[in-house]
Amino acid sequence: MKCKFCKFLLKFCGIFVALNVGLFLIFFYDLDGKLLFNVVEPFLKNHYDNMERKDVLKSPYEMDKFPKYKYDM
Amino acid sequence: MRDLKHLIYFENLLQEANNELVQKAKADGKRAIGYTCYFMPEVLLDLPGCFSVRLRAPRCTSPDIATYYLSGRVCHYARSLLERALEGGYNFLDAQMGTETCTATCRFQEHLQQKHLDSVDDMRIIDNDDFFCEFTDIPFKNTENSYQHYETQLRAHVLEPLHEHFGIDISDKAILKAVKQHNEVCKLINEIGDYRKLDNPTITGYEFHVIQLVSLACPKELILPYLRETAKEMKTRKPDDKKNFRCKVVLAGSENDDPDFTKLIESCGALVVCDRFCYGAVESRVPITLEEGKSPLRCIAEHYLKTSNCPRFMPQDEMRARKQRLANLAKEYHADGVIIASNKFCEYWSYERVIDTFILKRDFGLPVCSIEKEYINSASGQLRTRFQAFVESVEIKHIQEGN
Amino acid sequence: MANIKKALRDFWYGKPHTAEEGGRRLGELYEDKTGLLKHREWRGVKDTMYYMYMIWGYNYLHMVTDIIKYSNNPLDFIKGTWRYRWMGQTYLPVIHWFERGLQGMRGEALAASAWHYRAMVSASLHQMCNFFNADTRLHGGKENNAYKHTIYANETTCGTLFYPWMDAGYQYIPIEMIPYFVTCHVNSHTVLNYIDAVQSLGLPGDPCPMCQAESGLFVLDDVPDSAPIIVTCNEACDASVSTHTLQDWFANKPLFALPLPMQFDDPLVKKYCMNEIEELWKFIEEQTGVPFNWESMKKRLELQNQLQRDEWEKWEVDAKTPYYPINGVAQALFRIYSTQYGIQGDFWHEASEKVKKIMYKCVEKKINTFPKTRHRVIAWSCAPLYFSNWCTWAYNCWGLNVVINMDSLMFDMEIRTDSYENMLEDMATYHMWAPMRRMAVGGMHHIFELWEYMERFNCDMVAMYDQLQCKGMQGVHGLFEDEFRKRNIKAFWMPHALPDCRTVSRAEIRRQINDYMTTVMHEEPLDPSLLDFDDSMTW
Repeated sequence: MKCKFCKFLLKFCGIFVALNVGLFLIFFYDLDGKLLFNVVEPFLKNHYDNMERKDVLKSPYEMDKFPKYKYDM
Repeated sequence: MRDLKHLIYFENLLQEANNELVQKAKADGKRAIGYTCYFMPEVLLDLPGCFSVRLRAPRCTSPDIATYYLSGRVCHYARSLLERALEGGYNFLDAQMGTETCTATCRFQEHLQQKHLDSVDDMRIIDNDDFFCEFTDIPFKNTENSYQHYETQLRAHVLEPLHEHFGIDISDKAILKAVKQHNEVCKLINEIGDYRKLDNPTITGYEFHVIQLVSLACPKELILPYLRETAKEMKTRKPDDKKNFRCKVVLAGSENDDPDFTKLIESCGALVVCDRFCYGAVESRVPITLEEGKSPLRCIAEHYLKTSNCPRFMPQDEMRARKQRLANLAKEYHADGVIIASNKFCEYWSYERVIDTFILKRDFGLPVCSIEKEYINSASGQLRTRFQAFVESVEIKHIQEGN
Repeated sequence: MANIKKALRDFWYGKPHTAEEGGRRLGELYEDKTGLLKHREWRGVKDTMYYMYMIWGYNYLHMVTDIIKYSNNPLDFIKGTWRYRWMGQTYLPVIHWFERGLQGMRGEALAASAWHYRAMVSASLHQMCNFFNADTRLHGGKENNAYKHTIYANETTCGTLFYPWMDAGYQYIPIEMIPYFVTCHVNSHTVLNYIDAVQSLGLPGDPCPMCQAESGLFVLDDVPDSAPIIVTCNEACDASVSTHTLQDWFANKPLFALPLPMQFDDPLVKKYCMNEIEELWKFIEEQTGVPFNWESMKKRLELQNQLQRDEWEKWEVDAKTPYYPINGVAQALFRIYSTQYGIQGDFWHEASEKVKKIMYKCVEKKINTFPKTRHRVIAWSCAPLYFSNWCTWAYNCWGLNVVINMDSLMFDMEIRTDSYENMLEDMATYHMWAPMRRMAVGGMHHIFELWEYMERFNCDMVAMYDQLQCKGMQGVHGLFEDEFRKRNIKAFWMPHALPDCRTVSRAEIRRQINDYMTTVMHEEPLDPSLLDFDDSMTW
């Protein structure tokens, strides 16, 4: 029983240390930045560049659609 | 067409701000009051005892010292005014009635102001011991609050300072007298300008531009006889047998006190039949209507806010109505198209030009030539090409419609 | 032996700052062009761990938890990220934004400055979620409850004006604050699309690029449809007024224009301004059907006043001691973000409390937070958004410590809450005191308050921002030159084009400062590796 707990503790510590070492490597070598800059952003840019967009120049421009917002104070 | 009798005289008056008539009025003991913007009601500066001079800096092509102060990235008009002021060209001014209606001219006028601050030295640009510069806050809307504010401001920053400094009579009676004189100028200018509505107009855009400018840059009292005579002369003026233009245009846009620009457009075959720009007559020559139950000052305040089509107006309905009004002008003056000209670095008109270019064409079917220009148009070669191309496109449109 | 000792010392405490001490050479950490880091700086055990867990990890984590907290449906957030360029390209590199602003910082300065950043990120996420909760485009064109309870306003309209409706569940979104303003700080690539878009319609390149970008968002159809009404104002300049002509066309919604007097020193303008504000409130009442709520207003104004008092407390320490722990960029941005967005959450107060605690610890223990300060600098006029972290660079490279910014001094007042009349009067002044209005346009008197602030904050040098397309500031260029000479003030100009890094690059800005420091000041850099490096492609 005791041994099982030790094993669990060891495993937990191992995972904890590995996680932290992994995190540290990502942090220290700016791997998050590199991933975002080199992979994610170009992918997103490509997506946004090729998105279908409304031609806003076709938006109506009615002269009398809106009232005069005038309030006597 | 036969030359207008006073045209050369008018042209000469426009060669400098301190022209012959300004000098004469000064010699008569009147005070010269400078201003730059439509929102400074010229009628109030034309009260008995003083006269308005809408500032120009003709022939200023190289504003070097002003560029040091304002930098090269501010509108050429403001820099030219400051340069002319630094050269001593405005020393005849007794006061400058400032408005912060656009940033560039505001900064120019602030350089003239005696600031009475420890924080920055006064430059004393205007070498005149009597000179002062006063700013008026101008509203952005056509509402009751705006009218009240404008009236208060005009009283506090125009009338009272004129009275305090120079003893000018600012009574209602005096204001009414100035309005009467102002309305006569308006009537004459409109009378002359209406000939542009004819099928074959008996006045060119250039000639009208010169006449309108002298009415802004000279003392009203002294220019009036010439205007009366010109209006009379116009009644019998015959057009050339053959139309010497290929199309008619409305010229709209930002500050323009350069008749040679109008001449340039007309030399390309487009007759300028309507002038909807700062210094133009569309707004500034609408007579002031006095209403019963309202003070003359209140009527003036309302008049200047109601007649202005400046892109500075912010309300949604105003922004949209401006396009309609421009289209209406094209119809009224039988124009075939519109030239929208904004001065380089003029932010208001840079945007307004963009939207006008799309909306007038799309929603009103008006051909639009959209250009950016300098205060003094040295790049006339490029502009000439643009205008020629525009005239051709209008002609092609006519041919296609005819087919 | 000495080498081992130094290596151990460097490991434990981090490398020292200066070249003379065998220092850290931060410039060598950058990859060429991208500005990415070959590796992050080792700041010593304590600071590196603090940075990794309490800044890097903590903020990554909170970027997720904040979304869960603020979003009605986190899926909307993902949809928004996919739909809007400014969103996808801005949200992800946020941590790199921290990195740029906090580079080289140690100890209390690192911790306190990071709390300001944390508040800004949290508030930004709050706004993003508000956008997407209400956006009809993400909800099949449906105008949901959130949409009906949102008021759009131009980003320069102060959020304070909308407090009276917040108790009724309304929120205010400064339309361009995230899509344009925040974007420029985090990822300067994004905004270029919007500037190009509006210029493609024929707009010249010279109007203020901020306004160009604000209109460009609409031109590219990249503004969420999250509110039924829009409020605009003439803050701060001609171009701002004009921007709305395009925005009105493309948004095509009821729009109320709130003009503010230009000559705000004139006592006669106050009444006019108060009436305009009241007209705005009438408009909102009319559009929402919900009356003005004094209690809702008062409650938030009091919180806002508290934040203002906190800032004064901090400035007092900043002005009189070397123990102020916030760097130049964190100070300025926190002020701008908090005043622009207003009190719509507790993020500002939380950060402010934490910073105050750190600050008083510094005062108590006499911790010099920026020990390599050679010059106390005041940064004047409007700052380059794509290089807002220049202050961090300038301290690391030259020991130029930006102790106060003009941007921080905006809205520098409390608003009385003892009566409606007093509140309204102060509200008018408050709104007229926005930075680009009080200083850069609207009468030149206030821009020359520089000398007073130099004295108050004990500064010996001026970093004079030279926004090439700001007509108001360009119009006082020569007067400043004259006064600098007359007063024998050390001042360097920093040309820039607000959001557009193509006009004046970051490298060019650095070069101008380097030239000034070597040719005029005859000083040697603290860290020569930072003098010249290529980060032309960086975020």
